[in-house]
Amino acid sequence: MNWKTTGIVISREYLNKVKKKSFIWTTLLVPILVAGLTIGIMVAMMNTKEKTKTIAVVDESGIVLPYLTDTETIHYQPLSGIPLDSVKTNLASYGFDGVLAVGPLDSLEKTVPADLYSPKPFGMDLVDNINGRINRAVEDYRIASYNIEGLDQILKDVKANVRLRSFTVSDSGEEKISEAGVYSILSMILGIFLFMFITLFGGMVMSSVIEEKSSRVVEVLVSSVKATELMFGKIIGIALVALTQFLLWIVLSVAIISVAGALIGFDSLMGSNPTEMVSTMGGMDAEQIEAMTAQLSNDSELGTVVSTLASVPWLQLIGLFLVYFVFGYLLYASMFAAIGSAVENEGDTQQLQLPLTIPLLLAYMIALYAFKAPDSSIAFWGSIIPFTSPIVMISRLPFGVPTWEILLSIALLIATFVLMAWVSAKIYKVGILMFGKKSTWKDLWKWIKQD
Amino acid sequence: MAIIECKSVCKNFGQKVALDHVSLEIPEGRIFGLLGPNGAGKTTLIRIINRITIPTGGEVWFKGRPITQDDVARIGYMPEERGLYRKMKVGDQAMYLARLKGMTSAEATRELKSWFVRFGIQDWWDKKVEELSKGMAQKLQFITTVVHKPSLMILDEPFSGFDPVNAELIRQEILRLKDEGATIILSTHNMESVEELCDDIALINKARLVITGGVNEIRRQYGNNNVELVWTDASGRHTEVLPRETDGASTLRTFLEKDGVQINSYKELMPRMNDIFIKLVTEGEE
Repeated sequence: MNWKTTGIVISREYLNKVKKKSFIWTTLLVPILVAGLTIGIMVAMMNTKEKTKTIAVVDESGIVLPYLTDTETIHYQPLSGIPLDSVKTNLASYGFDGVLAVGPLDSLEKTVPADLYSPKPFGMDLVDNINGRINRAVEDYRIASYNIEGLDQILKDVKANVRLRSFTVSDSGEEKISEAGVYSILSMILGIFLFMFITLFGGMVMSSVIEEKSSRVVEVLVSSVKATELMFGKIIGIALVALTQFLLWIVLSVAIISVAGALIGFDSLMGSNPTEMVSTMGGMDAEQIEAMTAQLSNDSELGTVVSTLASVPWLQLIGLFLVYFVFGYLLYASMFAAIGSAVENEGDTQQLQLPLTIPLLLAYMIALYAFKAPDSSIAFWGSIIPFTSPIVMISRLPFGVPTWEILLSIALLIATFVLMAWVSAKIYKVGILMFGKKSTWKDLWKWIKQD
Repeated sequence: MAIIECKSVCKNFGQKVALDHVSLEIPEGRIFGLLGPNGAGKTTLIRIINRITIPTGGEVWFKGRPITQDDVARIGYMPEERGLYRKMKVGDQAMYLARLKGMTSAEATRELKSWFVRFGIQDWWDKKVEELSKGMAQKLQFITTVVHKPSLMILDEPFSGFDPVNAELIRQEILRLKDEGATIILSTHNMESVEELCDDIALINKARLVITGGVNEIRRQYGNNNVELVWTDASGRHTEVLPRETDGASTLRTFLEKDGVQINSYKELMPRMNDIFIKLVTEGEE
């Protein structure tokens, strides 16, 4: 390699991309969007409580009404002296949002009929709340009908309230309180970002190769630059673009979040429940997590989150993120470059691109699964096999991965990159000067075998 | 001495023969025309000289030794399919190509600015290439090919896309570069510019070399050795075609000695390159 000409290629590629308006815009907008979304979700979760609804109650059973105590969002109002039918049809004029009609107690079945009327359908929360209260009333009525002495005390004693606290124990025996939700979010964010970066910047290398080929600049270039210098110059130039963007994103995001955090109030932000966010995103069993966090959050939830975040080895995580990004990108970018060299316009890439998109998507899916079972065998192998390892390993990292696994996967990744770079360079050398014919995988294989 | 020597160069693309044992010498410091109909193999030969395509057989020598990548890196090459980065600024683009050819930033800026002034395009420096018309882009391409003062330039169809005024400008620049000592290989269909510019030519047809040599020798070879004499006497203007050398000169002398006769012109009659081209190519068809 002639580093002087390679350097000229690198600097053109870098400056050309960095000076583009689209680069400047994405660099500015993405952190604003991400920060806005994060803050938005948190604020939204703090304010999911509905505005207070007034429900008129006609209780003919006589057992339900005492259980209908007002909550923050529901105000129950016993109805007297007005016939149900006239209320039903004139809810608005009476100032009610709905009317609950509980029929007379069926002493045989030991149950009550209950109907809820409203001009607009109610939300799940409200309906569940009312239903739960009626059920409790009926349950209590049934239990009472057994006439067991000292039942109240028995029930009180039976009621369990175990709090599960999880700790991570280091080799030195140091215990740290941990919060699964925090790790899961981190794991997912890291995996998604790495996937996005590799796809985005790998694709950028490919379009840049195609641009050079389809505009025929390449014929002039190869007389003064070797094809391999051109290819690696391009790949390195765009890697530098990615790192620049990455750095700017971190700086801007931190700045925006801390400014916005200060404005909105940091405490209330941190008070929202990270596990809840994960469950909505990951589609986990919401109730299960709910139960767990409800107990965890009994005492200082903020404390748990903060101490969990503090226990994350940030420097190691960011360092490894960079390592996996750089080598994962290099691996895929060199293959994207080879594919770009074999076509004359972006439209023709579909078929050739498939063998690259499949492992990337697979890695993405394993990564999203990794936070549920970070040490499962699929996550383990996914993080060792080079084509999926960058994305899967980075999403396993927050849960702690043995050093030998990390070293093994990095070593394999680098070895694979060297091999693929060599293969890609061979394809690239022939491909960029091959015009007028649509290339297939068979052609590419032929070019690899050529000396 | 020959700057480029092709020794029995062959190229096959699968079953198709693109060049069949082509041997020719390109003398230094002259303009060499590479002629031939479309698809004859001119561009393949140019690509082989530039080491873009590897020949199936034969060798290319540069100044008496096999050509190397370093030699090629200094050649100024303008391919037939013009190529520039559409989204790049004209100045950045020219600087990039000049620096790849080994110029320093300062050198490249100075030389490019003076070329831009000479071509009257100094306002384009900050324009994007995609804003240029075809002729404008051609000018830029020409400048980027020659800015590093290469000792050998290969121009594939340099006049296509130019209006007559700009074609003349390019023609003058090519002659000027030759005067400065450069060798220029010119591939073209424009036979008038061959007559005007080229010292030597090679004609390739159907992958084979048909003829190579000096332009004047070839024209003479295909002419019928006549001279044309134009004179005026009392009865008016006369034109007469005479065989050369045998009694042409004596005829002229007799005319000169006559009274009241004025010689207007006496010149060798040479066939047009265009006619020779058509003759040689159609002969090959038979």
